[in-house]
Amino acid sequence: MNSLAPLRCLRAPLVKRQPVSQPSVTLALQQTSAFSSTENRQKRNKGGPKKDARITQIRYFLQHPKTPRPLRFSRLRYLRHWTIHRAWQLYQSNLRKSRELELERQYNSMREACEALRLMDGNGMTVEDGLLEGDGAPGGKSGGKIAGTGKDVGRLYRIAMEKKGIWDSVPIEYARIQTDGPPKDGWNHEWSR
Amino acid sequence: MALQQGLRPLRRSIWSSQSSQLGLAAQQSRGYASTDIADTIQDLESASSLRAGTPAEDTTSQYDPVGRARRRKIQLPPSRYQFRPPKYYRGPLHPHQPPPASDPASREFQPGPFSLPRLEQTYQSTFAQDLMTLAYTHFPPGYVAPTKSARLRKWEGESPYYKNRPLRGPRGADVLRLLRKPITFRNVPKLERVTVHSMISAAKDDSAHLHVAGMVMQAITGVRASAFKTKKSVAGFDVRANQYLSLTCELKGEDMHHFLSKVIDVVMPKIKDYRGVKGSTGDSSGNLAFGFTNEEVALFPEVEVNYDSYPPKMIPGCHIMIHTSATNDRDARLLLQQIGVPFYGKLVN
Repeated sequence: MNSLAPLRCLRAPLVKRQPVSQPSVTLALQQTSAFSSTENRQKRNKGGPKKDARITQIRYFLQHPKTPRPLRFSRLRYLRHWTIHRAWQLYQSNLRKSRELELERQYNSMREACEALRLMDGNGMTVEDGLLEGDGAPGGKSGGKIAGTGKDVGRLYRIAMEKKGIWDSVPIEYARIQTDGPPKDGWNHEWSR
Repeated sequence: MALQQGLRPLRRSIWSSQSSQLGLAAQQSRGYASTDIADTIQDLESASSLRAGTPAEDTTSQYDPVGRARRRKIQLPPSRYQFRPPKYYRGPLHPHQPPPASDPASREFQPGPFSLPRLEQTYQSTFAQDLMTLAYTHFPPGYVAPTKSARLRKWEGESPYYKNRPLRGPRGADVLRLLRKPITFRNVPKLERVTVHSMISAAKDDSAHLHVAGMVMQAITGVRASAFKTKKSVAGFDVRANQYLSLTCELKGEDMHHFLSKVIDVVMPKIKDYRGVKGSTGDSSGNLAFGFTNEEVALFPEVEVNYDSYPPKMIPGCHIMIHTSATNDRDARLLLQQIGVPFYGKLVN
């Protein structure tokens, strides 16, 4: 690839050899060093447009061995590394477990709340409550209303289960990545350029 | 000023007299009135070898490690670890197995993580719970989901070739689409990985475009970009097979969270007249994608701070694909909206 070009031009003088048939006398007389003291990379470019120096730099920095040499630890250092690694893994797994348990707890309490709403009428009475307080007679505690009948039962549950509009969008104000300490005054009104 | 200078020797004399009265112990515990230092030392040194005292005289006289090493006939193995793990994995049955990736001697070993991204923290503390609550559906106890017919159909007809034939695909598609299960605490959608991809068609003439684009992508993602060859020749695009024309970065975990929060909090707000991501994006299995033009890529802070070190015409545009664990686009979009990606236009699922 072209990215190897700077390296190749460095290698070129080493590869070029004089033909063997030439007498050694001419070899000794020949000029070996360059006539010009200008550096090779700054020499006049005869063929093609001149390359941007930034591209040459980027190509140079992209030439990097892909995998660095593996780390070799002595016995105790290895053991120390291993201990820390195990402890970190343990900590991570505990963290993951606690997060999942917390989510599960929230889910279960949501489910219980919905279940209670489903069985409840407008007065907050379930069928069992109505039966306990006796027959739903006009003189009874429930004021003559029998729970568990009519469209009042589970009305709140039906409202809670409405999914109207929630798939459309989350308000953009919600999406704020939490910071360690949010400033008390978020905007500096005094600032001017 | 003069008053202060006059007070200084007085203050010094007061302090010296105090310290001499209270003594050294009081001076040490001066700052920590709530903790008793004596107790702390007890706690610290309870299991320490410092308490063992000096060894007995005969033990000291017999202790001669150099002489013992000389008298030993077979030398102990050196403490340096001599085993060289194999360079390549040669399959599970090969006797020479490389160490696990967590081992520092492994070639896959990557140190880290070095940071806890704020996006990840916010997801764990808020977004996951809110998403679960938002998508909650209640199933009363004793609820049995209605059975649906099999999605792969049988071949029905008179033809004898229908016998033992593999089942027919679903209606309207060749492949089975992913099923959406109700969101519970086990399958709250989360970010899995991000792919940043860029096709550099100018690289077919000059590889400099590819190299500069690789450098830019490495700068903005923090991950080395891998180049890919074109598979086929396309005469219309003047592209031949086996040319390196595209770059891809795969981001996971820490890198992914940092990259996404950079995109959402820094780059997207800086784009002029930015409408957001198109609402119809998605591959209907929970992976959403959007793109940035080369001017928008130049807004990344890493490119912006040394904008001069890249030839401005060679800064690439890129496509960003966000893979989530949601199985349909609607859930994935909800997750991205929570994170802060704006969507515009008609939302297509």
